[in-house]
Amino acid sequence: MTPIRILLITCILALVATLVFIRQQTEPNSSAPLSTQGGDFTLNSAEGPVSLRDFRGQAVVLYIGYTYCPDVCPLSLAILGQALKQLPEEDAARVQGLFISVDPERDSLEHLRDYARFFHPSLIGLTADKATLDQVVQQYGAFYRRVEMRDSAMEYAVDHSSRLYLINPKGELVGSLSHSSSPDLLLRRIQELLND
Amino acid sequence: MRFSRMLAGLSLLASSTLLAQSPIEIEEAYVRAVPPTQANTAAFMRLINTSDQDISLVAAQAEVSAVTELHTHLEVEGVMQMRQIDQIIIPAQGQAELRPGGLHVMLIGLNKALTEGEMTSLQLRFSDDSNIEIALPVKSVMSGMMPHGHHKH
Ligand SMILES: [Cu+2]
Repeated sequence: MTPIRILLITCILALVATLVFIRQQTEPNSSAPLSTQGGDFTLNSAEGPVSLRDFRGQAVVLYIGYTYCPDVCPLSLAILGQALKQLPEEDAARVQGLFISVDPERDSLEHLRDYARFFHPSLIGLTADKATLDQVVQQYGAFYRRVEMRDSAMEYAVDHSSRLYLINPKGELVGSLSHSSSPDLLLRRIQELLND
Repeated sequence: MRFSRMLAGLSLLASSTLLAQSPIEIEEAYVRAVPPTQANTAAFMRLINTSDQDISLVAAQAEVSAVTELHTHLEVEGVMQMRQIDQIIIPAQGQAELRPGGLHVMLIGLNKALTEGEMTSLQLRFSDDSNIEIALPVKSVMSGMMPHGHHKH
């Protein structure tokens, strides 16, 4: 190899390295608005730890709420239960519904199991310590906060966002639906996830 | 005891219940069915004021819960916020809708499981000092959302 060629290669390598470096520097910024990127998590169920990656190859519908919630949580889970019941059997086996409680103080694992099953036998109820929940909530662009109810026998409420998160068989978050969606719409979106 | 059960039976027949000359009528009342281990639930209904004055629902007492409160649910930028309120105003010659995602009667500390198809009773107290006791069915979330004979004018 001639010295000129070595110099040339060195220059090219330096240029590539610089470009890669610039890309790495700018990439976190350009993807910063995508705080709702989803991703894996591990939470507790009455039957032991459950991770999102356990359901690779399955579509996952995820809802975040709490069982003291009087209407939008049961409504969302009822929509999910209804959609699952309408799926053909071979498709239903490829879908997993998950309910994450952001009220671990009141929602025991046993209660969450029974509560989830009430809406569909396959639904799994999950929760964790606050730090773990905060991480999952942030990953999915959700929100919750504890609010004291001074004169109420409830003592506190948990304000929370209310979305049905749609996760494809690769474990990627691809969208979400509100609790005012129909079971039919959710059914169609689940079928899209399976056919992708 | 026997009398109130008879009343409960009577109100089963009629979709609206009107007792003790209260100018308030109640339609499509139901309590949401919950899993056996659930400590609370909510009741929903339409309150109709046939008088020329505003009247408020100021208190409620359910037969199946230790505490019964009036609540609302606000949606602020996609965040659901449940809050206790003092009263639910029913405007003169108007109505108030208690429905999922909004106003509700909150039943806290259930002393029994509420299974779909059962009947339970609820006492309502209004600002004009009238009281109404209604018998209302326990319904699942989905069937509660789609009451039969729900007509929009
Ligand atoms: Cu409430």
